[in-house]
Amino acid sequence: MIETLDLTKTYGRVRAVDSLSFTAAPGRVTGFLGLNGSGKTTTLRMLLGLTRPTSGAALIGGSPFSELKSPLRQVGAVLEQGIVHPGQSGRAHLVTQAMLAGVGRDRVDELLEQVGLADSAGLRAGDYSLGMRQRLAVATALLGSPEILIFDEPANGLDPSGIAWLRGLLRDHADAGGTVLISSHLLAELAQLIDDAVIIAKGQLRYSGPLLDLYGSATGRLRIRGRDPVTLWRAFEEAGAKVTTDDEVLEVDGLAAEEAGEIAFAAGVPLYELSTDIPNLEQIFLELAAA
Amino acid sequence: MITLVRSELYRMATIRSSWLSLALFGIMAAAFGIPESYFWAVFVGLGAFGIAALTVAQSHQHHTIALLYLARPRRVTVLFAQVITTVLVAVVFAGLSGLTVLVKEDGSKIYFATLYVVPLMAVFGAAVASVVRRASWLLFGFGVWFVVVEGLLGRLRWNLPISAYLAAVGADTETFGLLVFIMWTAAALGVAMLALPRDLSGD
Repeated sequence: MIETLDLTKTYGRVRAVDSLSFTAAPGRVTGFLGLNGSGKTTTLRMLLGLTRPTSGAALIGGSPFSELKSPLRQVGAVLEQGIVHPGQSGRAHLVTQAMLAGVGRDRVDELLEQVGLADSAGLRAGDYSLGMRQRLAVATALLGSPEILIFDEPANGLDPSGIAWLRGLLRDHADAGGTVLISSHLLAELAQLIDDAVIIAKGQLRYSGPLLDLYGSATGRLRIRGRDPVTLWRAFEEAGAKVTTDDEVLEVDGLAAEEAGEIAFAAGVPLYELSTDIPNLEQIFLELAAA
Repeated sequence: MITLVRSELYRMATIRSSWLSLALFGIMAAAFGIPESYFWAVFVGLGAFGIAALTVAQSHQHHTIALLYLARPRRVTVLFAQVITTVLVAVVFAGLSGLTVLVKEDGSKIYFATLYVVPLMAVFGAAVASVVRRASWLLFGFGVWFVVVEGLLGRLRWNLPISAYLAAVGADTETFGLLVFIMWTAAALGVAMLALPRDLSGD
């Protein structure tokens, strides 16, 4: 379990993070969303003990990061653009970290294979592409087989296959009972992965809860096209819906698709199209961030 | 602590540019020791400072310090591990490069005097780097300090760190110089410990 309680960080007069409280639960992937400069990275760094909170608490399994007994076996983190000394090879970097995590070199080989860097493990990390550095960073985070993963923009630089691989990896981790907190600006990608969303703007919490509830709060609009739009319009309004049109289809708010279908059937109007126009995460996010 | 030191030694050993520059500087120090043992002592002191300062500063520059803090959240443990690592490397560097001095008839005195003081220089360098955190600022600042403040103004007579080091390793090994240098080293380490809780900078 990851938890922040009234977490605040100020730089001079600027409140980078302002009384932020949220949780990320085991068995779920929690997306941490915010515009650039909204305080995401500062929050994650406070969770990892790299930045000191001005007030409040950032807890991992009920304790501050600094009090964890074996941090690398409890928490795996991906920060920035993949931290590695550019003069070290990918393998040497992982071996260095494996020593700190107390795991053997067989785990290094296993992870190099898993992240697709086995063939380039001997190259200097400085010669790696951004995507390769991200894969190396993910391997570093997974070394100690931690239960909790905190990933800051891990998809940066990954190609589509890399993003799909990462999505599968994080999904499997959560399905196995692990806790995943991931920040990303690739909202469409994130929408396919996360169970819960935490949205912040200007350091303040805008939303925290299940993604489905977030979609539910921005109710889906029905797009309906039928033989007699006027009759349909009247029937839907009589059922309490709000109806508008873009001159081609009726846009109906306040009814489920099943209800709209039954109403059209009762009115004797054949339907040519009935679909739910679910607002995308980007749209919801931008509305919340701007609120 | 031992694990941290091992991992840091491994990191240094697997960065080719690190040990190549170390080897080249060592060869230079050894060569300077042939005509004049004191030159070797000066070179080795500068080398110990450079090894320590660059090791610590580069861990901030490349953000690998964050990986160490993620592994061992007690920052003082990380600092001491870095100090021990740089001391070990500096002593080996001094010990090997000073063989040209040791084989000389009167070389053993300055060789061992330097070998005692070099660890202090490594501690001093690591501590200062932990405070400054930026390799370029550190090396530029050190150069200006050494040449202008201690050299031109103090004429290497004031009780300042590098002057004290040079006095401590000189042919007429000065106990007072050693004491002064110990005090500077302790002060630098103290400031480094006080500065440890500062936030790490991001990208």
